[in-house]
Amino acid sequence: MRTLYLTLKYTAILLWSAFVIFPFLWALTTSFKTANGVTGGATWIPWVQYEPSIVGWQSLFGGAGGINVMQPFANSLIVTLTASAISITLGTLAAYALSRFSFKFLWMRNSDITFFFISQRIMPPIVLAIPFFLMLRTLGLLDSLPGLILVYVALLMPIAVWVMVDFFNGIPRGLDEMAWMDGCDPVTTFRRVILPNAVPGLVVAGMFCLIFGWNDFFFAFTLTFTQTQLLPVAIVSLNSSVTPWWALSAAALVSIAPLVVLAFVVERFLSKGGLAGAVR
Amino acid sequence: MAEIRLANLAHAYGNGSYALKPLDMTWRNGGTYALLGPSGCGKSTMLNIISGLLKPSEGRVLFDGQDVTDKDTGARNIAQVFQVPVIYRSMTVADNLAFPLVCRGVPAARIKARVTAVAERLGLARHLTARANRLTADQKQLISLGRGLVREDVSAVLLDEPLTVIDPQMKFELRKTLKEINREFGLTMVLVTHDQNEALTFADTVVVMNHGEVIQAGSPQELFDRPATAHVGTFIGSPAMNFLPATVEGDLVVLAGTGLSSPLPPGSGSLTFGFRPEHVGTTEGMALDGRIARLWFEGAEQVASIEAAGHVFRARLPGTTASVGDRLSLRLPASALRLYRDDRLVA
Repeated sequence: MRTLYLTLKYTAILLWSAFVIFPFLWALTTSFKTANGVTGGATWIPWVQYEPSIVGWQSLFGGAGGINVMQPFANSLIVTLTASAISITLGTLAAYALSRFSFKFLWMRNSDITFFFISQRIMPPIVLAIPFFLMLRTLGLLDSLPGLILVYVALLMPIAVWVMVDFFNGIPRGLDEMAWMDGCDPVTTFRRVILPNAVPGLVVAGMFCLIFGWNDFFFAFTLTFTQTQLLPVAIVSLNSSVTPWWALSAAALVSIAPLVVLAFVVERFLSKGGLAGAVR
Repeated sequence: MAEIRLANLAHAYGNGSYALKPLDMTWRNGGTYALLGPSGCGKSTMLNIISGLLKPSEGRVLFDGQDVTDKDTGARNIAQVFQVPVIYRSMTVADNLAFPLVCRGVPAARIKARVTAVAERLGLARHLTARANRLTADQKQLISLGRGLVREDVSAVLLDEPLTVIDPQMKFELRKTLKEINREFGLTMVLVTHDQNEALTFADTVVVMNHGEVIQAGSPQELFDRPATAHVGTFIGSPAMNFLPATVEGDLVVLAGTGLSSPLPPGSGSLTFGFRPEHVGTTEGMALDGRIARLWFEGAEQVASIEAAGHVFRARLPGTTASVGDRLSLRLPASALRLYRDDRLVA
């Protein structure tokens, strides 16, 4: 019975793994092919089924008919990391305030204000494109990294606030009160007492921010022209009348790499029980 | 260590009705006090006002004569043990104990000495390097207590139903520790509880509260002997005190059909007799004969529900051989009879 259970379990896991890995595998093999290799159905075994070539990879680093993705890659990294860091910092502070103090702005109370934050993400992005464009133009920040960082903070901070408000609400208020009684000022209370308990929330919020920031194409596309290019835009610009599948596949793998690293880091954190029993 | 004075204190939340009705009280330095009452009676409100988490809408709070009403909770130097153990989960036991001193900028060497001494006293010494959230609930409560003890000048230790979530066998131990600490350190301790047993065994002075009002403050003996209202008589003592409607006959108040009587006090209002089941005897006093309607064990002794001339009351009958239906010749000493007018003790 137990053997049967294990067999079924591992079969299911294997099937699912194959299902998930398949697109990556396909992208990987395709990135080493040329025009001849991609026609006539899927092929998997190099040298036997197709002749491997590094043309696709070369085109990513300034090779013939390609572009250099290093600069867009670095840009994306700078914009995503900076915007995420700012969003998490501001969002966490805002969330702590919303969780612990009562606010009233016009008719809005704490829950309305929290919803106001997240409502920024409910509208279709296209609604924001023109206002963002006009604002950045006024500030002279169109087609620049600071401008993109500013826009991404506006997009990512609601996520941080949303995740962290919920998380802080789960941390008993008694903890704050006890720290005050121990003679701790509010800032130290937040930093030394509350924040260490909120690490799992920070990890989740950080993960969301990094993924959303890294994957955004729309704003990176509408708010930049020639000077500043982010990776998703650069990848699309590889496309031409004849789709260079090999170069696109290589670029896709490059753009996925940071997220794979992130996934591994978060997974390690999760498996160490970082999220379990954090509160109470 | 401080004397706590609550001067004309009262608190009303937004809607204007009193959560804590006006009161005036002084709690002596080094005393043990219990705030006893059902949930929602205002005892936690009172505690939060003392600790500074809540600012009273009326009156002042004074520590050793010094007005601290407008001071925040950190400046009052209070320690509190909450109902659900609250500890700094992310820190070790040692860091937990040290935190109040760290926050107050005490030198590191002094902190270490205090933490070691307090941990030793509370039996936490061998857990000092452990993560605080790995400890059991009663140990966590000791950590909370310890965070007060490390400060030699702590004004008072407030205990907000600290034993509720503790295992029964550890409850007794923890209560004993609290009492010992009170004697050794001379700390003013205030215990909030809804458990009369806990209050009566812990405190020198029990403050009975109901509906936001302090009904009576006194020693456990006073509360037992002379409850100020029927509420106190019912809440304290088990089985509860008997309360029977009295009638006026000339210049006497009597319990119709029995031998109970007392002089008529001046004034008007509905009169009630009160007496403890423990004080009903068989030898001397006023006649209170009746028939046993029910009989049950409470503690080591039998308690009977007695019917007498249309009244029903409870009596403790140690060592009785009587059974249900028997008529008993009972007596109540005059000194044990209390008279209430409109639910307030008059004699």
